[in-house]
Amino acid sequence: MHTDAVLTLAQWLSPAFPIGAFSYSHGLEWSVENGDVRDADTLCAWLSAVTKYGAGRNDLLLLAAAHRAQDTAELAEIDTLARALAPSKERLLETVQQGDAFVRTVSDVWLHDLPGLTLPVAVGAAAQAQRLPLDLTAQMFLQAFINSLVSAAIRLIPIGQTDGQKCIVALAPLCRRTAERALQQNLDDLGASCFLSDIASMKHETQYSRLFRS
Amino acid sequence: MPAAQPRAKGELRLSSKRQADKSALDTLRQSGAYRALFPRSGDRALTSVFVNTAGGLTGGDRMSLSATAGHDSRLTLTSQAAERIYRAQSGTIARVTTDLTIETNARLDWLPQETILFDRSALKRRLNVTMAAGATFLAVEPVVFGRIAMGETLQDSLFHDDLRITRNEELIFADAIRLSGDVESQLAATAVANGARALAIVIYVAPDAEARLPALRALMPGTGGASLIRPDVLFARFLAPDSYLLRRDLIPVLELLHDGPLPKTWTL
Repeated sequence: MHTDAVLTLAQWLSPAFPIGAFSYSHGLEWSVENGDVRDADTLCAWLSAVTKYGAGRNDLLLLAAAHRAQDTAELAEIDTLARALAPSKERLLETVQQGDAFVRTVSDVWLHDLPGLTLPVAVGAAAQAQRLPLDLTAQMFLQAFINSLVSAAIRLIPIGQTDGQKCIVALAPLCRRTAERALQQNLDDLGASCFLSDIASMKHETQYSRLFRS
Repeated sequence: MPAAQPRAKGELRLSSKRQADKSALDTLRQSGAYRALFPRSGDRALTSVFVNTAGGLTGGDRMSLSATAGHDSRLTLTSQAAERIYRAQSGTIARVTTDLTIETNARLDWLPQETILFDRSALKRRLNVTMAAGATFLAVEPVVFGRIAMGETLQDSLFHDDLRITRNEELIFADAIRLSGDVESQLAATAVANGARALAIVIYVAPDAEARLPALRALMPGTGGASLIRPDVLFARFLAPDSYLLRRDLIPVLELLHDGPLPKTWTL
């Protein structure tokens, strides 16, 4: 059973799962453009803050609430809150488009009946429907978020694959702590302070040359 | 000294109504440390300047303000002075709740001056906005971390700030800020504030929000961003080294989005 859960989550949260994760940078593309993120150290620091104080933690609170939701009305309410919390047009697009694509594939392949949802809410709801454990889902979701941003960074700044992987390893303990704490909290604890990453996603809207949709 | 202050409580309720081609005070109730003043203005809007007569807040204080812009009226709210949040006794928290209601075809502008958080302060604040369809809302919320001129930084403080905007019973925007403990080192992170000690949000919900985006973008500083999140929701974040520079960035933005002369409290 546990192996089944790990394999299902590895599939859902793999970069190969067709949600288009490769096309979003969460504002990182602008932070590279303005020099805030320029090497492995500044990348790790940026990711660490986004994990602890930003969307990393908030998304886990939303995912956990969706996993615990009792009915579709509660799920819809959580999703409305997730959309309302998006600080910019592209951050809204990032979570809505990936969430919709996730729900489509999970519904088609695993035959669940899920509405269009933002990404963390979609993953939480799908994991509940598939009876996958919340703690494992949360851990792997957060790591997939970081993996995706590291992969974006490798395309944006001159750091190698090895440095990118080192950064993911260095952030693993923080990921675990963040997930453990988030699972003991609820939606009243939602909140962030990654103001400059939000601003980066706003500035990205008018960035002259862009690889990413956010 | 802050620790010796009695706990303050304040409650202010007011509403505006349309009267001929102007807006007038409809109802007013005030108690405790909250008071409202109504300076004369040549403006079509009713302007109310609220005052915290306790001269700041500390742990255990409770302030509650609720204001309604009645059908077809315009209400502008500002504060007479920056709100100081003093050091709190261990485990105590100052709470500020603001409820704003904007009826059909009405407009409410929420333009308080800075909230200044002192070291060891603890503040939980909530702003709920309930709008009718077609209503207009503008808000600014500037926050300053520490008495910067004195070199004060926040080593151990708590700041929870929640904003929720509902229109036609649908939640259309939410912002939630959480800073606690060693706020100074949290603010130092490049994804957080890169050492900036003053921040603000500006939100404009209006049918013409989209048309204002290009002009707003042109006014944004390097450490500020603006986005049209939905067709009628314009949101901006600002960071600045101190409250003076923050104000310098905010004033032209408020002049752009406010529909009359800015309250006199909003000068450099």
